[in-house]
Amino acid sequence: MAKIIGIDLGTTFSAMALVEAGQPKIIENKEGARTTPSVVALTKNGERLIGVIAKRQQVTNPQNTIFSVKRLIGRRFSDPEVVKDKKLLPYELREAKDGGVEIKMGGQWYKPAEISAMILQKLKQDAEEKLGEKITEAIITCPAYFDDSQRKATKVAGEIAGLKVNRVINEPTAAALAYGLTQKKGQQILVYDFGGGTFDVSILDITEETIKVIGTGGDTHLGGDDFDQKIMDWLIKEFKKEQGIDLAKDQLALQRIKEAGEKAKIELSTTMETEINLPFITSDSSGPKHFYLKLTRAQLENLVEEYIKKSINLVKQILEETKLGVKDIEEIVLVGGQTRMPKIQEEVKKLFGKEANKSINPDEVVAIGAAIQGGILQGDMKEVLLLDVTPLSLGIETLGGVSTVLIPKNTTVPTDKSQIFSTAGDNQTSVEIHVLQGERPMAQDNKTLGRFILDGIPPSPRGMPQIEVTFDIDANGILNVSAKDKATSKSQSIRIEGSIGLSKEEIEKLKKEAELHVEEDKRKKELIENKNIADNLIYTCEKTLKEAQSNPAVNGIKKEVEQKIEELKKAKDGDNIEKIKNKTQELSNVIQKIGAELYKTNQEKKSGKDDEPKSEEGEYKEKK
Amino acid sequence: MEKTKKDLEDLKKQFEECQKQRDEYLNGWKRERADFLNYKKEEMEKIEELIKYANEELLLKFLPILDNFELAEKKLSGDFKENEWVKGVLNIKIQILDFLKNQGVEEIKCLGQKFDPNFQEIVEDVEAKEKESGIVIEKVKKGYTMYGRVIRPAKVKVAK
Repeated sequence: MAKIIGIDLGTTFSAMALVEAGQPKIIENKEGARTTPSVVALTKNGERLIGVIAKRQQVTNPQNTIFSVKRLIGRRFSDPEVVKDKKLLPYELREAKDGGVEIKMGGQWYKPAEISAMILQKLKQDAEEKLGEKITEAIITCPAYFDDSQRKATKVAGEIAGLKVNRVINEPTAAALAYGLTQKKGQQILVYDFGGGTFDVSILDITEETIKVIGTGGDTHLGGDDFDQKIMDWLIKEFKKEQGIDLAKDQLALQRIKEAGEKAKIELSTTMETEINLPFITSDSSGPKHFYLKLTRAQLENLVEEYIKKSINLVKQILEETKLGVKDIEEIVLVGGQTRMPKIQEEVKKLFGKEANKSINPDEVVAIGAAIQGGILQGDMKEVLLLDVTPLSLGIETLGGVSTVLIPKNTTVPTDKSQIFSTAGDNQTSVEIHVLQGERPMAQDNKTLGRFILDGIPPSPRGMPQIEVTFDIDANGILNVSAKDKATSKSQSIRIEGSIGLSKEEIEKLKKEAELHVEEDKRKKELIENKNIADNLIYTCEKTLKEAQSNPAVNGIKKEVEQKIEELKKAKDGDNIEKIKNKTQELSNVIQKIGAELYKTNQEKKSGKDDEPKSEEGEYKEKK
Repeated sequence: MEKTKKDLEDLKKQFEECQKQRDEYLNGWKRERADFLNYKKEEMEKIEELIKYANEELLLKFLPILDNFELAEKKLSGDFKENEWVKGVLNIKIQILDFLKNQGVEEIKCLGQKFDPNFQEIVEDVEAKEKESGIVIEKVKKGYTMYGRVIRPAKVKVAK
């Protein structure tokens, strides 16, 4: 069955997505980008360009490069918005016979829906190329404030492009769908959408039957581009102040400043300070001039403060209009690239007293939501088997109280995993399997799910028995842990129910604890690991000494080894990692001498027998 | 007798139901298995593509540094150009260009050619005598391709 794609037909950028195997994903365009500029152009040769390539020639062909067509779609020529936009747009508009708008491109007149159709057609073609199948149906989004005529025109645009438009859904609804917020009935959601060229705010009321938009507001001429312009103007001003040179007329310098400003804006979302470094920006009689300036996050926030304030005031205004208080809003969703700015997130949080939903890429969230709507219509979202994941890691306690993970957290179930363990002491005939859940490295800090004993292991040196421990979680979240001695095939097992079904709070608490103790835990684990290494070495050394007793060559070193063993034992009882490491190294060095001696004697014996050439002793002596 | 007949019929029904369910589950499982194998194939293809272009992001961030290097070279005054120290430093630039070439990165040639929006972006159109309209007359910023794909379009001035 052909897939239904979700399209976010934006004012400045458009994006598309579809549901595959129950998961929504963005479809890249032919150029490999996840968003496509909503720009159409006709060159002098009559070639039609769409997307980024249309944008690239905009400067020389402004009359025939159509952008922001979404501002005109489905509107009447006499609409105040159109009257206002007409002054700002570089291309020609006229009144159509039916009172609508017509746009001139390459000497021909087009309806806005026809221009939008060209964008949709490109998206459709690119998607078909990427997916290798025909696309015939789509869900297209539009702003919540679009009236019937604008929605109809959007639908017509889709149809001209050869798409059956199943639905035209509201952008804020799509955003809420993307976050899965529409399942909980009886709540109000506010969507704060700060795009490149427009700012929209909407309030959704989720009821049993419908998702209703109960309020919309915003500013159709406020967006991230204003931020960029502000930064650019400021940079030019700063340079003029410092060097007395006006860069506003130098195209090359302007281009570099513009890019540097945009880069700085993006960087300041993750860092507190960035530098604008533009060597050889210009020159005068005294020689070349460089532009070097540090820009802090606080400075940037100051520069654009008025815009952020304006947006927050618009949010307050819509709350007033809908007679809702901040407490009535249960969820807030952030949409649009500009909402990546920490100051905006902070201001929204300050107003509502809670975190907004922002984990999905804000440039893509609307397209993702549209795709989900398509998936729901097609039954794709239901068809998919919903499989649980393990919320926390599962494992067993091993030597020194360490928690050894067998099934890491976020593993999709059903699943199973086996690992071979062994004994820690000589002649150990039983092992205790202590089943643990949690992210902490030490067993005592994790939750005990159960324990059992496997006995009847034949007495043997430590490390010899092979005990296979298997963790198996079925689709219902029931955990079966079994331990089997490979030599005797004797086994024991335990069944634990509810290893997955922890409450959300419980999981969060355990995860937070793990984060909180990360440093301390790391140290603890390192200490235990080093103690285990030391313990192993002591065991091996004592065994070697015992075995080498009869060899007279070893006698000379024996005392030294015994002393080092004692020292390491003492260090091992303490908690000083460095000391344990040093003492382990020292013992390891002296024990190698015994190894070398033994090897030498062996070789001598051998060569005495069959006269083979001696191998170079020195090669082995210092090897670590 | 009647009862046995009815029981038998019920059992038969149940059996058919079971068979139907079995087929359904088996098919579901086969589908899931096939989906997984197809997914794996797709992922492998994606990984190959990813590896090929893995350095793209990094190189894109590196290119502005090279731009500045070249700008510095362009602005060198005459007497400096013959300075052996300067020549040495400029040899490092050649090394960088070689490195880029080895990464599949190539400069987009455009000077004197007709403007092509697939590879270039216009920043300004200027009056130019003896030049056909739409011809690239100045490169403001170099553009690059990586294994034939544009990673940064050239920014150019064209004749009006």
